[in-house]
Amino acid sequence: MVEIKRYSPVAFKASPKRTEVRDNWTVVLEYDGEGQAAFGQSSVNDNYLVDLSHITRFDVQSSNLDSITPFGIKIPQGLCESYLQDGVLINRMNRIQASVFCLPNKKNEMLTECKCDADCKCDPQNSSSYTETTEVGMCMAIIGKNVFSITEKLTSLDFMDSAKTTPFLYQAPMSHIPCQIITLSRDSAKSGIIFTASRGYGKDMVHAIMDAGEEFGLKPAGEDKFKSWLNNL
Amino acid sequence: MITRINQLPTLRVDPANKVVFDYKGKDYVGVKGDTVATALYHNGVRIFGRSLKYHRPRGLYSLDGECSNTCMEIDGIPNVRTENTLVKQGMKVKEQNVKGSAENDMMGFIDKLDWMMPAGFYYKTMHKPASIWPIAMKQIRKAAGLGVLSPDFEMPGKFDQIFPSADVVVIGGGPAGMNAALAAADKGLRVIIMESRPWLGGFFDYRTFDYKDAQYKNSKPLYSRARELASKVESHANIRVFKHTSVVGTYTNNLVTGFQIGGDNDKFNERYIEIRAKSVVVAAGCIERPLLFENNERPGVMQVACAHRLARTYGILAGEKAVFSVGHDLGLEAAVDLFDLGMKIICVADVREDGQNPYLMIELAKRNIPYLKGWVASEAHGSKRVNKVTMTTLDGTISRDFECDLVVASAGLTPINGHLTLAHAKLRYDSHTNFFVADTMPEKTHAAGRMLGLEDSLSIEVSGKLAGLNAALDCKLMPQSYGNTEVDALKSEIESFTAQSKELPGPARGSKFVTAPVKGRKTFICFDEDTTIKNIKQTIDMGFDVPELIKRFTSAGTGPGQGGIPGHNLPLYVAKYTAASSKCFSSSSSSSIQSLGATPKPTNVRPPLVPTLIATYSGSKHIMMKRTPMDEMQRADGGVFRKIGVWERARYFSDDFSCKKEIENVRNNVGMLDGSTLGKFRIHGPDALKVLQRVYVSDMSKVKTGRVKYSAMCNDDGCVIDDGVVVKLAENDYYFTTSTARAGATIEWLRYHTRFDGWDFYVVNLTDSMGVINLSGPNARKVLQKITSEDVSNSAFPFSGYKEFIIKDTIPVKAMRLGFVGELSYELHVPSSYMVSLWNMVKDAGKEFNIQNFGVEAQNVLRMEKCHIILGQESEQRTNLLDLGLGFLWDRTKKDAKTIGAVALRQAENDPTRFRLVGFEMENNGRAARDGALIVDDKVRGYVCTARDSFTLNKAVGMALVESHLAKVGTRIQIFEDECKGELIYGTVVPMPFYDPDGKRMKS
Repeated sequence: MVEIKRYSPVAFKASPKRTEVRDNWTVVLEYDGEGQAAFGQSSVNDNYLVDLSHITRFDVQSSNLDSITPFGIKIPQGLCESYLQDGVLINRMNRIQASVFCLPNKKNEMLTECKCDADCKCDPQNSSSYTETTEVGMCMAIIGKNVFSITEKLTSLDFMDSAKTTPFLYQAPMSHIPCQIITLSRDSAKSGIIFTASRGYGKDMVHAIMDAGEEFGLKPAGEDKFKSWLNNL
Repeated sequence: MITRINQLPTLRVDPANKVVFDYKGKDYVGVKGDTVATALYHNGVRIFGRSLKYHRPRGLYSLDGECSNTCMEIDGIPNVRTENTLVKQGMKVKEQNVKGSAENDMMGFIDKLDWMMPAGFYYKTMHKPASIWPIAMKQIRKAAGLGVLSPDFEMPGKFDQIFPSADVVVIGGGPAGMNAALAAADKGLRVIIMESRPWLGGFFDYRTFDYKDAQYKNSKPLYSRARELASKVESHANIRVFKHTSVVGTYTNNLVTGFQIGGDNDKFNERYIEIRAKSVVVAAGCIERPLLFENNERPGVMQVACAHRLARTYGILAGEKAVFSVGHDLGLEAAVDLFDLGMKIICVADVREDGQNPYLMIELAKRNIPYLKGWVASEAHGSKRVNKVTMTTLDGTISRDFECDLVVASAGLTPINGHLTLAHAKLRYDSHTNFFVADTMPEKTHAAGRMLGLEDSLSIEVSGKLAGLNAALDCKLMPQSYGNTEVDALKSEIESFTAQSKELPGPARGSKFVTAPVKGRKTFICFDEDTTIKNIKQTIDMGFDVPELIKRFTSAGTGPGQGGIPGHNLPLYVAKYTAASSKCFSSSSSSSIQSLGATPKPTNVRPPLVPTLIATYSGSKHIMMKRTPMDEMQRADGGVFRKIGVWERARYFSDDFSCKKEIENVRNNVGMLDGSTLGKFRIHGPDALKVLQRVYVSDMSKVKTGRVKYSAMCNDDGCVIDDGVVVKLAENDYYFTTSTARAGATIEWLRYHTRFDGWDFYVVNLTDSMGVINLSGPNARKVLQKITSEDVSNSAFPFSGYKEFIIKDTIPVKAMRLGFVGELSYELHVPSSYMVSLWNMVKDAGKEFNIQNFGVEAQNVLRMEKCHIILGQESEQRTNLLDLGLGFLWDRTKKDAKTIGAVALRQAENDPTRFRLVGFEMENNGRAARDGALIVDDKVRGYVCTARDSFTLNKAVGMALVESHLAKVGTRIQIFEDECKGELIYGTVVPMPFYDPDGKRMKS
């Protein structure tokens, strides 16, 4: 009898300490040795790589994107602007397209106030404008003090560009692989990015990032570390 | 071993910290901060290696790696520039390009045979009779090149890369560069400063001199000023300092590349650096222009800064008795300073008739150092190292010999302007400075410091500040940057500094002296390539008159030094010699270039400006490949993986690369293949169908719900670029597949070909989102039925059918009934995260049938037997839809769609000259021809696309693209394979497909 499970494209060389099964995903909440302290509470300036490939993501496309409000939230108007509200991260990709990430601290009750009819423009499960893209890519976050020292070994993108305000989106290569990278914070020790890339690159991407982060003590962390970081933003 | 001067305030070594290294099997001792070259010099080594062509002894010359003189093998790596490489504990150092030793090189006799090797001799000799050349070529190749590297040598160490961001990049960490960095950083900009030495300071760093004229309050020595500036730069929050970092390239839009050598606390040995800045300041300074005289590269001859820095930076006196032959004040200053440090200065010859700093003249006189104005070194003596030098007047009429063990020689200065020329600055010759200077600067690039001809310390600093402020203005004028008030303030600050700079001394008059009055047989203009003045004369006399061509013909400036030594002298000498020849003057006369009416033209420079390891460019060497969800499991099942496009795929499942068992299992039983690499897309929106009609050759309005439609895409030439199946999910909502190779380009293809239509449609790339299991073989249905309650019988799920169902109430599956391998087949498209679970279910269900994996090669043979094509294998750039026999896919009636390629296909329809895809079998039960083998008669008539020994058919069969007159069934074809030595193999054109022509098996 085969057990039905969903597998992340990302695997770390670390032993999960606490896990939780969610929609057939085995989500690692904490790894051995990552430290139990919530993000920012530890005296050590650690840097973490977190696998978020299980979080639900959508592609939204419409010639009238302004009329669409994923989970009741407006899509940012400016190209490559992002917006984070109540755990929903929306990124404007181009004139007709946006991506939507349901981060682990997303509030599920958001749709209860929705009064839309059929083809509801705020419900990704109900509208034809949405395509679920959870399976398309891996999704990871790098958080900690040295995030941008690590990323500058992987990409020439200027995350500290003063003309941009967080959160903002880059659609560009990291470690030579096309990615969507959202800079959520560049505030000293609370710096962090979340990014997606084609699922098939998961293994090699982890290898490249861990290698780049080795000198900064980058280590794998579970979802709880990411949540505590997110809640601190 | 020489006694080191340990108490100098300028030292950059720690004499108390010993470093033991190995040189030719013996332990040598250096100190922390030493380069390999300085440590060897300190230990008495004077000959570091032998030259490329003549095996002449070579020694320390520039201390900055400007030539290959001191390239050695270090820890197994040849051609390491020992002047730039810090010595480390346990390092193993060897000399190179010697037979015997550098001291006693058995190949040294070649130096006497220079008369046999005039300029370009290898272009002119050893070609007649022609049979000599292959033998001569081998010998020349053996002799050419420096250092030996084994092909399987594995580079030790860690190599990294970094792509930092900055507003302003400053190239050069000297006084001008540091001032530029501070000026820009004080305006709130992010600045990166790159310095090739392991410390900031440039040509101030080793100089104790001040001019006693209150340039700095408190009469500060230059090294002290340098360290003060360095301290400010390194503590500035907006400045990032990359020391021991050489810039190797500057490109348009302010892209600067370089490499950094790792220090004790760094995690890398070397790392590649690439910066895209908003503005660039080049303050790279100057190097010395070598003095040309006989034996000017003999160990014991060195440049002024080399001797001076050797003493002041490393505490090593280069010799006991020195003769100076110089053309600039730095030479006089070095003579005074080295005298004070204990060196005996026999005399100082100066090629300049006037313009000397009077203060320095007084200081020379105070020390009773003989000063010979208008004299120059004409020949260095000594077989392996200098023991005497002949000095002459500039016109060569009077000569005198001086015994010495050191000749400090320099004709003048030359700016390091390769960074500007790479960034497309146009250089012109400036007769005042005798420099090549930038006539037009690249956009948002500024030069500063000595490279502008400035010699006065304050002028250099102010020029740096100005360049920094101008770079800041570049950044602030950008659309998104700052308000006008700040820009106005900046502009007025620039005006103020410009006015200040005009009060200070401007560019100094440069020495124009090129060569001593010698014939030039052993006067080397390029040390790396052993090119002499005589060679240059020979080349010009042959009719070459452009320095760039002379450089090619003589190889001058094409060695590891990247033109550092000959870069300036070559064009000066060529200009002077060509002008002098035309006016019947002697080239060695003291006539100036200007007086002869000559205009020197610079030669080109190319990246890398400074040589480094290929490993550095390679960086951390991550191979980024895509893997399917089944990667790990297939490896565990014995899969042999190969890189196919961007993917790693299981090509075989045993050591038998003919895949006999895998093929037979699919033909007779059931097998499973991971087809997840297929391109997969959703297209939706009101105009989705119009798009499909445009890009596919078939009428896509005929795609029916519950059915799959196979079709192809062509380009405007009618050539097939992709094929796949399309499924209708809902009204104006389709799911389609593409070939693996085309997946990355599909969305752009659709957008490009509908760009003027304004259609409302949306495409989502689901390639990685869906895993694909290809379940094939006569028992495939039985296996599938075991994991689903859905009716998968032939009537309920016929060939070309499409179904969606959910397995175990959890896993959603898009199932297609296809037959690529010619058997009953199902393609199960499943969310990638569930792929492993479904794969295991299928495997579990197939246990009773002994289900087996099959890989890409088995699939290749299976589909070839069925004559199903793979684009790229049965097609190339010029192969159109009709050539492949796929014309039946093309719907000629859907005119409104403006189908891509339709016009070209109409024209090609009756073209008899086109290739045709044919099937063939080998004659006399022969082996299969190799893929790509040529079909020939008296000409090439086509090529073999795929051919294999078919275990199913018990014969070798294949497909080939051939000229149409060979396409008739029964035609005998001749096949030419690589290295067949004229022995052709033969086949006969036969009907296609070879296997199950009626398709009963895949449709049953």
